Amino acid sequence: MDRLGKAGDAGTDVAGSPAHAVQVAELFREHNRALIAFLHCRLNSQSDAQELAQEAYLRMLTLEHPEQVGSLRAYLFRIAANLAVDRLRMRKVRNDKVRDDMLIEQSTEDLHLAPVPERHVSTIEQWCELRRALRELPAKTSQAFVMHVIEGRDFNVVAQTMKLSERMVRYHVTNALAHCRTRVDELEMP
Amino acid sequence: MDKSMDEKILHTAADWWTRLRDPNGAGATMEQWLEWTSADERHLEAFERVTELGNQLGTLDDATRQQFVREFARPGPVRRRWIPLAAAASAALALVGGYFAWNGFAANTAPQVYVNAVAQNRNITLPDGSTVALGGASTLTMRFSHGERHVELGGGEAFFQVVHNMQRPFVVTAGKVSIRDVGTAFDVRRTGQRVTIAVTQGRVQIADHGGAPGSNATGTGSLEAVAGQLVSYDPATSAMSIGSITPEQATAWRSDRLEFINEPLGVVIANVNRYSTRPVHIADADLETLTYTGTIKTGAIDSWLDALPQVFPLRVSENAGQVILANPERK
Repeated sequence: MDRLGKAGDAGTDVAGSPAHAVQVAELFREHNRALIAFLHCRLNSQSDAQELAQEAYLRMLTLEHPEQVGSLRAYLFRIAANLAVDRLRMRKVRNDKVRDDMLIEQSTEDLHLAPVPERHVSTIEQWCELRRALRELPAKTSQAFVMHVIEGRDFNVVAQTMKLSERMVRYHVTNALAHCRTRVDELEMP
Repeated sequence: MDKSMDEKILHTAADWWTRLRDPNGAGATMEQWLEWTSADERHLEAFERVTELGNQLGTLDDATRQQFVREFARPGPVRRRWIPLAAAASAALALVGGYFAWNGFAANTAPQVYVNAVAQNRNITLPDGSTVALGGASTLTMRFSHGERHVELGGGEAFFQVVHNMQRPFVVTAGKVSIRDVGTAFDVRRTGQRVTIAVTQGRVQIADHGGAPGSNATGTGSLEAVAGQLVSYDPATSAMSIGSITPEQATAWRSDRLEFINEPLGVVIANVNRYSTRPVHIADADLETLTYTGTIKTGAIDSWLDALPQVFPLRVSENAGQVILANPERK
């Protein structure tokens, strides 16, 4: 239902019209920060977020029938959401391949962890603080948080493993995330 | 700014974060979120901060991620306990390196004992070319045999840079803990039966006394720690916990600074005593469990002691050449 018009299709008198370009520019001005934040949340990468935001504007600009779109803003975020889903899918395929390659390497060569690159003290302190923060929470709360946020497991996978509803998993993750953010803030500005 | 208001916004931001993470989230969610972000400029800012943290935690390096996963994402009776890591890896190692007895080795050369005085650091080169920096008030006994290089840390702290030799493993024992190098540099600190191991390079295998690598049938196990990791053995629970540490932190004592990360005050003071001209004594046991993180210059222990009451609820006094730490209400 969210399929987009093919970019660059000629034959309409609205696509690429100055009025439409102005509208897209307005969208950019008003919502770019939110769009980037949304994509950042989905993708765990600021640079990927910026890249996909650019792509989304480009698709908006080359929209075939912008006059048929009810809300350009909603449409922009829908395009972005679809691009994010595609990107995550692409990453998953790539990661699975990397993991398979690693398993092959490991079985023939080395089962151990790679040495850790040297890290900044403040980062290490931050992780120590986060572990302390997680210890302050109920076991289920920190477990759900670590499984989703750190291990990157989807909510439904976490829910199955923990025998909880997805709503409860999200509830735990929300609580832990807010708690950890507060603790890290306190570390940065005591 | 009203603190509870900030916390409320942060919590709402975290709630939005989990809702927007769901790829099946409906368009209506998005509209509501956009309304929320435009209602108050602090909203989007809070969301961005939450997202930033989620991003950092979602892209941790392998070792740090596994620390979190081991401690929090694998619940059950072993939670926060020392979990044998990669028994298969240890088994593979034993196959490659040949089986060696973890404890039952027979010394065939006379043991050599090194004892440092209080506040004395010294560098020792062992016969195999490995080097040891031995800290203040620390004792080291070296027993080298044909098949194994064995070093016992009787107390205190030592930093080892080991010349690797598969055929002749280098094993450090400290109380109930054994550390076997797998080509590496590491620091061991023993405070009574409490042992911390900081790996600055390569990796080590760490085993509980009596626990052979790869066997955990006895309830003990072996753990492998890599560079950047700090492993602490707590004798009260026989549990090991894993943290992070930089090489600079691990060997700070060699530059006359004692670094502590989340250590009980009792342990901190025991180590301070290895460098203090006046012995420091904790009079009230409940003070021993306070946790301390920070740096102490061994040349400025007195000023650190003077500042302690600002950090902890305690009183510092002097009696007959001893420094006494006591509860403030104690007469």
